[in-house]
Amino acid sequence: MITFLELLVNGISVGAVYALIALGFVVIFKATEVVNFAHASLLLAGGYVIARLHEVLGFWLALLAGIATAALVGALVEFLVIRRANVAVRSVLAIVTIGVDIVLTTELTRRIGTEVLALGDPWRDRVLRVGEVSIAETRLVALAVAAALITAFLLAFKYTAWGVRMRAAAEDAETAALMGVRLGRVSLSAWAVAGALAAVAALFLCVFPTPGLDRGTGLAAMKAFPAAILGGLDSTTGALAGGLIVGLTEALMNGYQNQLAFLGRGVGDVAPFVVMLAVLLVRPAGLFGTREPARV
Amino acid sequence: MSRTVILRILTGLAAVAAAFAVPFYLDGFWLQAGLFAMSAAVGAIGLNLLTGATGQLSLGHAFFLAVGAYAYVYFGSEPEGELGGLGLPTPAAAVLAVLAAGVAGGLLSPIGGRLKGQYLGIATLALIFFGQHVLFNATPVTGGYNGRAVPPLELFGFAFADSPGLVVLRVPFGALERLWFLGLAVLAGAALFARGVLRGRPGRAMNTIRDHEIAAGVMGVPVARYRAGVFLLSSMYAGLAGVLLALAFQRTVPEYFGMLLSLDYLAMIVIGGLGSVAGAVAGAVFVSLLPQLLTRYSDALPLVSDPGTGGLSPAEAARLLYGVAVVAVVLFLPGGLAGLASRTRAAGRRWFSPGSARRRFSPSSPETTSPESTSPETT
Amino acid sequence: MRNLRSTVAAAAILALAVTSCASEKATGGAAPSAAGGDGVTTGPGVTADTITVGVMTDMTGPYASFGKTLTQAQQLYFEQLNAAGGVCGRKVELVVRDHGYDPQKAVTAYTEIAPKSAAIAHFIGSPMVMALKSRIETDKLLTIPMAWSTNLLGARAVQVTGTTYDIDMINGVDFLVKEKGLAAGDKIGHLYFEGDYGESALNGSVYAAKKLGLTVVEQKIKPTDQDMSAQVAAFKAAGVKAVLVSVGPRQAASLVGVALAKGMDVPFLGSNSAYSPQLLATPAAPALLKDFYVATGGAPISAPLPAMRKLVSEYQAKYPGEALDSGVSAGYPAAAIVGEALKKACEAKDLTREGILTAHRARGAWDGGYGTTMDFSLIDRPATRATYIVKPDKEAVGGAVIYKEAAVSGLAEEYPVPVG
Repeated sequence: MITFLELLVNGISVGAVYALIALGFVVIFKATEVVNFAHASLLLAGGYVIARLHEVLGFWLALLAGIATAALVGALVEFLVIRRANVAVRSVLAIVTIGVDIVLTTELTRRIGTEVLALGDPWRDRVLRVGEVSIAETRLVALAVAAALITAFLLAFKYTAWGVRMRAAAEDAETAALMGVRLGRVSLSAWAVAGALAAVAALFLCVFPTPGLDRGTGLAAMKAFPAAILGGLDSTTGALAGGLIVGLTEALMNGYQNQLAFLGRGVGDVAPFVVMLAVLLVRPAGLFGTREPARV
Repeated sequence: MSRTVILRILTGLAAVAAAFAVPFYLDGFWLQAGLFAMSAAVGAIGLNLLTGATGQLSLGHAFFLAVGAYAYVYFGSEPEGELGGLGLPTPAAAVLAVLAAGVAGGLLSPIGGRLKGQYLGIATLALIFFGQHVLFNATPVTGGYNGRAVPPLELFGFAFADSPGLVVLRVPFGALERLWFLGLAVLAGAALFARGVLRGRPGRAMNTIRDHEIAAGVMGVPVARYRAGVFLLSSMYAGLAGVLLALAFQRTVPEYFGMLLSLDYLAMIVIGGLGSVAGAVAGAVFVSLLPQLLTRYSDALPLVSDPGTGGLSPAEAARLLYGVAVVAVVLFLPGGLAGLASRTRAAGRRWFSPGSARRRFSPSSPETTSPESTSPETT
Repeated sequence: MRNLRSTVAAAAILALAVTSCASEKATGGAAPSAAGGDGVTTGPGVTADTITVGVMTDMTGPYASFGKTLTQAQQLYFEQLNAAGGVCGRKVELVVRDHGYDPQKAVTAYTEIAPKSAAIAHFIGSPMVMALKSRIETDKLLTIPMAWSTNLLGARAVQVTGTTYDIDMINGVDFLVKEKGLAAGDKIGHLYFEGDYGESALNGSVYAAKKLGLTVVEQKIKPTDQDMSAQVAAFKAAGVKAVLVSVGPRQAASLVGVALAKGMDVPFLGSNSAYSPQLLATPAAPALLKDFYVATGGAPISAPLPAMRKLVSEYQAKYPGEALDSGVSAGYPAAAIVGEALKKACEAKDLTREGILTAHRARGAWDGGYGTTMDFSLIDRPATRATYIVKPDKEAVGGAVIYKEAAVSGLAEEYPVPVG
């Protein structure tokens, strides 16, 4: 029972980090209908800046700098590439982001080289113990930040002018444009916001329980793909739900690996994808995603 | 018979002659790299049918390559120790392997038919992780992390292997030289078939689905059935590419069939040109050969330094160039390398034969209908 | 028109037939083998004044740091060898190819350099070596893989240096029982990577556990896994008394850090690829310095051996300011193994590949001054069964010191090594 509780807590806390990454996917997909494969490199960019600057600026300023840099990189990608790409099918834009990702990741991994970079966070390796169950403080913070950010986004989409423009653009870009929504700005801001989110997610990916930022950190973004699509690529709530589902599946499958040995060992990595496929077969747009109505 | 036609035939013949001459002159490095490129070209043609022509994104191509490669090995090997095998004649194993990839695609076609565009893309990502898990764990079939030796193909008593020795025109013909011709034949067949599909009725239906799904449905195209069918066909192409790849590798390597491979394939079709056979081939050659060329000739290139000296290494330079190529093609070169080629040809025709400058109305050759030119807004 | 076409085709074929006689490849199928002016029979990769040695490394993939120091250490060895007059009056030239841990690039690079090399001084990545193992065997090309799984054994041309991962784990479990108070009936955790590295190591731990009455609690992960919290929870729940670690340095650091933070106070024992000195600069350092050991067949670079000291100073002189890690202590001796095989082959006046292999495999006891004595006449068994126990240390060169000298446990002595 203790183990189960511990795995549950672990799963939820890992899920919070996945939810943050998935939220980045969702924001971009909502605004521009592109699955952003370059998110991994935005993560890496944000993390890299934090890691390089925390000794000079202190952690909090370095974090701000990281967020700002990743936001800027995101905005630049939108301004220089996505906006100018003249494609008929949105899938092609997704492939373009693969190209962007390759360029950015190659340069960043070259700079990171073979080092493992610490981010200098204030939580270090402290854990909180409740009875027999313990949880890393970094993960508690991640959970709080994810919950706060997702609530903020839900409110922002509902009540702010930016949110309304964003929803209008997602609903029907042409009509929105006719009604005075500047699509370019909406899209640019979405990419910048997603970049900022990536930097925040990078922070929680690279602090305890992991040793630091290295060239492989960006790969973790791939694990958030099933989270984003499972919840629904255009749903903020879906990002949270998807993140938690993926985190829990992974933690429980790994924790009970010995009992599940007949599935082949190391099934924890595959399980989230199997869950995702199962969900998609029943609900092709994800749990909270909206089925796009047919427009002729 | 105009002069341009004769010119075309001559260029075609020259290309064929050059392709045939390669194994007589170039060393193993080029043959090996060329074989990988040919296999990639077959796979890319398949993916281009799905993604380029029908607008369905797939990240699961590496999975179907793995199915083809491993199925060939399993069907064609004799059982040995704990490794199973059916010991079928290798040509039969090759055909069955392609069918096996088709069956795998068929089993998944409910997904291929139901999901569209980018949702399908991410759903197929699952296949890669699932595939890796199976490759590493189903040891009796796949050999687990060790991989398995690939039995050489034997066609009518002729083995595509190093032994028995064979000398043609005083050039020793080993496995690579022999496989080169097999690769050429397979690629030519795959390309012709895909061209037929694209230029015929199915091709038009596929393009309509890509450009406007609802319009396609209204015009009587069975959209879901077409999507599922193309998914199946593209997985069979991947299976064929997998067989060729296994023969070129001579051993299956489970790590190889990962996500990077799938991403490479997507890059190939974008760089080469979406929706056309020639584009897939051009992209495959570009993506497969670029890193090899940069590594081999890094001494002669400015900006690229030797591995380990701290500068930009050839492998990194190749990655950068290839990433930039993907982006640049979409921004500046609609239609990719194939589009560029056909435009250059068109320009060339205008220059060289002013008499035939009037526009030819060929039945929508895929090179001239790049997706950009025909599609309406799809929001 | 038809006429024209067939004429062109005929002309093309004719041209092909004629010119192919002028092609460099046209040898008439005869194997190139010649005796030089000095009475030495030579084979591929050996000319009148140079011997080419290939290196198949990874400088842009996951093993980039290892690949870089390995290559530099080997360049250092061959430069020194050339300065001392080379081999058989010939200079040894190193051809380096970076495959970035991509099997396709590795196979192509091998196809390129194999025909013009006399040996391969190091080859990173067991998936790549495995993919090429049968070709290496047919080519009779002496190759030193930089991977230590048992599936690399059993080929005459492939020389695994030192111990294999399973031997290290057997000696390691023996060490835990003798010195860390484990007893029959205890449980022992093993965290390992999917693939030959982890699974080779697992073979060893399962064997040793069975012999010693221990139970192994397995946790298999993939290289993309970063956070070991779930694994620690599982180990903790099972009540393990020690944990074996056959994963990458990153995962090892996470495991040890989480365990320490969660109050799981047990010894950890890593395979030789589970530790990297770079980790001592991260927050995981305290946990690693506490109760973490590494079982390795090769002596660490800080070992108090004259040859190793000399290597450290020479390496630092040539590459000032560069990290000294296990790549240096593994690469230089591997280069020496190849270099001395070439010298032996030269003495026998036979620098063909067969001659080099015969010379190499004839050496029953070689140590070169780097610690462990290796027996190269064994083809389907590891060249040695002695394992060092090494401990991370902030002050030491290479970030680790010898904790316990190399020793062969009784268990490892009688362990039947699975091959192939």
